[in-house]
Amino acid sequence: MDPDILSTFKILIIGESAVGKTSLLLRFINDNFDPNVSATIGVDFKTKKVTVDGNTVKLAIWDTAGVERFRTLTPSYYRNAQGAIVVYDVSRRETFNKMQLWLDELDTYTTKRNIVKMIVGNKIDQDTREVTKEEGIKFARRHAALYIESSAKTRDNVECAFEELVQKIIQTPGLWEASTNQAGTISVSQNDSSDGYLPKCGGWSCSLA
Amino acid sequence: MDEVLDEVVPTEDLKKYEKVYHEQLNSGNITQKAQFEYAWCLVRSKYSGDIRKGLILLEELFHTDKEESKRDYLYYLAIGSARIKEYNKALQYVRGFLQIEPGNHQVHDLEVVIKRRMEKEGLVGVALTGGIVLGIAGVVGLAFALAKK
Ligand SMILES: Nc1nc2c(ncn2[C@@H]2O[C@H](COP(=O)(O)OP(=O)(O)OP(=O)(O)O)[C@@H](O)[C@H]2O)c(=O)[nH]1
Ligand SMILES: [Mg+2]
Repeated sequence: MDPDILSTFKILIIGESAVGKTSLLLRFINDNFDPNVSATIGVDFKTKKVTVDGNTVKLAIWDTAGVERFRTLTPSYYRNAQGAIVVYDVSRRETFNKMQLWLDELDTYTTKRNIVKMIVGNKIDQDTREVTKEEGIKFARRHAALYIESSAKTRDNVECAFEELVQKIIQTPGLWEASTNQAGTISVSQNDSSDGYLPKCGGWSCSLA
Repeated sequence: MDEVLDEVVPTEDLKKYEKVYHEQLNSGNITQKAQFEYAWCLVRSKYSGDIRKGLILLEELFHTDKEESKRDYLYYLAIGSARIKEYNKALQYVRGFLQIEPGNHQVHDLEVVIKRRMEKEGLVGVALTGGIVLGIAGVVGLAFALAKK
C-alpha cells in the first residue's frame, strides 16, 4: 500500500447507454476523447489517484454498461460504493427521463445509506440541447445530489465532477475508513470554508445534500 | 485494472441465477438471457469448476445467438479463460475480438492485464498451444458478419 493514500473510494458510473459514461472516464483518466468509443461490455474498471484539498485518495471506478442486457447483473457492483456518478445526455431528453429509475436502482442496491451522488448532464458541447440546466439542478436538489454539466469531448467540468464527488465523500463522516497503514497517523486536511464545504468548481455545480 | 480478473461474484447472485437457469433447464426451454446471466456469474466465481462450466455455456451461446451479442460472449470467454490461467486461450479470444473491433479500449486493457499476469507468472515466451479456440472459423465468420454491416 502507498503510505500517502488516505483511503480508497469505490465509485460507480451509471446511466443510460451512450450518454458518455466511458467517455467521461477516459477523459478523466487519460485526458483523451474517442468519438468512436465502443459500448461497454458488462462493467469495466479503472483506478486513479487524486489529491483534493491536500488529501490523496485512490479511486476504484466501476464503469457500467447502460444497455438493457446487462441491467440485471450490474447492481451487484453497487455494493460498498461510496460515490455514484449518474449521467444523462443533455441533448437526449429520454436519457434524462430515465434518471429517476437509475436513482431508484441505486437506492435499492447500495449498501451505504449516505453514498454521495453526483448527477452529470453530459454533452453540453452539442447544440441540440433538450434538457435545460435548471431542470437538471431541480432534479438533483430533489435527490440531495451534487450536480454538474460537462462535456467529455471538450473536457469541460470533467475533472470537477470527480473532484467534487471526492471532496464530498471525504467530508461525509462514517462513509469511509482510512487505509489501515494510516491508522493513528491520519489527518484529514480541511478547507476552511465556514460550513466545511467549499465546492471545487464554484458556480458550476451546487452542493445540496 | 486487475480487478476485472479478481473480483468475485456475490454468492447470492450466483445462486439466484443458477436457480433460474435450472428451472428453465427442467422445463426444457432455456432462454439465452438466463443462460448468459448464469454464465456471467459462473465465470466470476472463485472456483475453477464453476468457471469452466461458465465457459461451456458461453461457447454455446457464441455459436447460437445473434451476431451482435457475440462480442459480449467473446469478452467473457477471455475473462473466464484468464481467470483459470488459460492465458493463451484468453489471448486468442482477445485477438479475435480486436479483429472485429480494433479500437476497443476495454479489450485492449484486458489484453495488457493478461500479458502482465503471464509475465509475472513466468509464462512469457511459451508458444501458443495447438488448441483451436471456438474453431477459428467461428471468429473469422464473425468478423465477416460484422464487416458486412
Ligand atoms: N459530442 C459529444 N459526444 C460525446 C460526449 N461524451 C461522449 N460522447 C459520444 O457519445 C457516444 C457514447 O459514449 P460512451 O462513452 O460510449 O457512452 P456510455 O454511456 O459509456 O455507453 P454504454 O457503455 O453503452 O453504457 C460516443 O460516440 C462518444 O464519443 C460529449 O461530451 N460530447
Ligand atoms: Mg460505456
